[in-house]
Amino acid sequence: MTTANSEHRHATSAAGTGSARRKAGSATEAKGRIRWRRPGPLDIGIGIGILAVVLVGAMTSRFFSLDNARAILASTAAVGITAIGATFVMIVGSAVSLAVSQTATVAAMIFLSTQQLGLGVAILLALACGVAVTAAQGAVIGFWTANPIVLTIAAGFAIGGVAIWISGGATVYPKATAFRTLDSTPLGLPLAVYVLIGLALLAQWMLHRTTAGRQLYLIGENPAAARAAGLPVGRVTVIAWAFFGACIALTGIFLASFNTSANADLGGTLSLDAIAAVLVGGTAIGGGRGSALRTLGGALLISVISDLLLLRGFSTGVQLLAKGLLVLLVVVTVHLRSTRGRR
Amino acid sequence: MIRGLVSRPERLVPAVSLPVVVVAFACTPLISGEGLTTFDIRNALQGFAQLGLLALGLGLTMIAREFDLSVVGTYALGGMLAVQTGKSSAILGVVVAVAAGAAIGAVQGGLVAWLRIPSLPVTLATYIALLGLTSAISGGLSKTYTNSAATLWVDRTILVIFSPRSLVTLAAFLIAALMLGFTKRGRELRAIGGDRRASRVAGVRVERALIGLFTVSGTLAALGGALLSYSYASANPNPGLQPLILGAVAVLLGGVSLAGGRGLPLGLLAGTLSVALIAQIVAMTALPDYSTELLYAALLVIIVAIDAPGLRQTLDRLKARRNSKATSTITLASHDQYGAESP
Repeated sequence: MTTANSEHRHATSAAGTGSARRKAGSATEAKGRIRWRRPGPLDIGIGIGILAVVLVGAMTSRFFSLDNARAILASTAAVGITAIGATFVMIVGSAVSLAVSQTATVAAMIFLSTQQLGLGVAILLALACGVAVTAAQGAVIGFWTANPIVLTIAAGFAIGGVAIWISGGATVYPKATAFRTLDSTPLGLPLAVYVLIGLALLAQWMLHRTTAGRQLYLIGENPAAARAAGLPVGRVTVIAWAFFGACIALTGIFLASFNTSANADLGGTLSLDAIAAVLVGGTAIGGGRGSALRTLGGALLISVISDLLLLRGFSTGVQLLAKGLLVLLVVVTVHLRSTRGRR
Repeated sequence: MIRGLVSRPERLVPAVSLPVVVVAFACTPLISGEGLTTFDIRNALQGFAQLGLLALGLGLTMIAREFDLSVVGTYALGGMLAVQTGKSSAILGVVVAVAAGAAIGAVQGGLVAWLRIPSLPVTLATYIALLGLTSAISGGLSKTYTNSAATLWVDRTILVIFSPRSLVTLAAFLIAALMLGFTKRGRELRAIGGDRRASRVAGVRVERALIGLFTVSGTLAALGGALLSYSYASANPNPGLQPLILGAVAVLLGGVSLAGGRGLPLGLLAGTLSVALIAQIVAMTALPDYSTELLYAALLVIIVAIDAPGLRQTLDRLKARRNSKATSTITLASHDQYGAESP
């Protein structure tokens, strides 16, 4: 019953394409006002959580120091840039990609192995590779509605296999050192942090002020209605995945500049970290909701908690465990909040 | 008979894939230059035992249109718990591992069934948490299993080609086939996967069935992990996504649809045997590692693309367009005919 209603609502709002953007914009504003007036249990929970983190942080030596803040921001940037792209893909309803680590690794390898052609060319080639590989997956998912999880697992395997095939399993070393400029720290912060902030603002603007951005939400909310209303579902999905690919490639470039070499394990757990950041940012896995700035907050929160656990001497296993439980907690809370009143 | 097969992909796919793989297996001496021995068949069955329980759990959840990503985490945790607690008594280790797997599955099933949260974010978060937990238990290192009596026992040769491990796996498949074939559980499971709301209206206790399903899936994964680590005499805290991709290939070759509501335990058995035979072929012909990854990835991509509902719609649309074009040329031709006759 509720589904039928929402389908109808979206079909009508999507049909008036001219006013769709304005309508959706005012809807978010209205939602924001309601949330501001009545803080729900979720907001109180978030408040208590932040308070707890600050308190534990105050009791931990070296947590409130400039060096530590810098470390937290650097680790946020490593995951955040990819997570911003993953937000787009989750909003449009393609759930998640499990091929991220491998794509970042390949982008990093291309970036380092083409250094002798100049920094700009190397960056462009790495970006092109990330966009092409990821947009191709997006095309299969967008046009053929293939299952994104299984498809991206397979794609990840294929990309990893090709990377080992071409590199011969060896570590890639650069022939020139121009990439060192990407590892610089203007005003004491890594360059990646500035890129992350710029990218988050750009993404937020794209999501809320461009036609494709608004269409992402409509398609994610109800793909059948969006298709019926004549929205270019396949094309918009591919655009979302292409943007995601550029973000992954950027992460790969920064990883490569930081490590000054690239092997098959460079990507590490980037796939899972990016998904965790998006989910902790409160984006629903079903699509249609989410924001780039909230994902930024999610990535920051995970970094802060991991940092706190590290400073208090817990192992990486415990950090991972805490991350998983945090994701689970946020997923359950976000779900309960979004379905409250519907049932 | 043939028509019955074609209209039922859950029988057609395994009925085609298993014979094809068996023929390929019988032909490997042509490439490797060495004759087939019963030892090769026994090895293939060992590979089947390594993958089978995981694939069965994954397949059963996929029939009900859920996706249990956490099985890889439960697999790792089960192996680690069995090795850590089963030093003096192997049975105790298995019991602890299975109990943990069942408890984890039940909790996830409860979240998915009662709160109606999509299974993907829940099982993904659990996967991250379980990897962390396993790593925290083991300190991030592989642990050796010193009870060599148990290691020898699980891989003891029985009836030339079997071992206790492969017999346990076969028994699990047979029990599942009997349970789903001769009780109403099988129909309920497919009903839940096909149309959850309709099955609820028809009186299926969806919540109970889902919790039971996730419990079974967790139990099977933990048991598989425990038996594997006994066989290897060590437990690895992070097996990666490799078991998941092999399991997914097995399930899809077993005729299960990603759209849910379709699949049979005996089909799953055939699919898993196919993957085990492929793995053995690769081992016998000594192909390099990356080519195996590419092979599995290609298989998976093909299956997912064929299974995608969008592709079928596109093909139908093309066919309809060609048909309408054909009819319009026929009418044109007949029109010409009349035109020629009229004067």
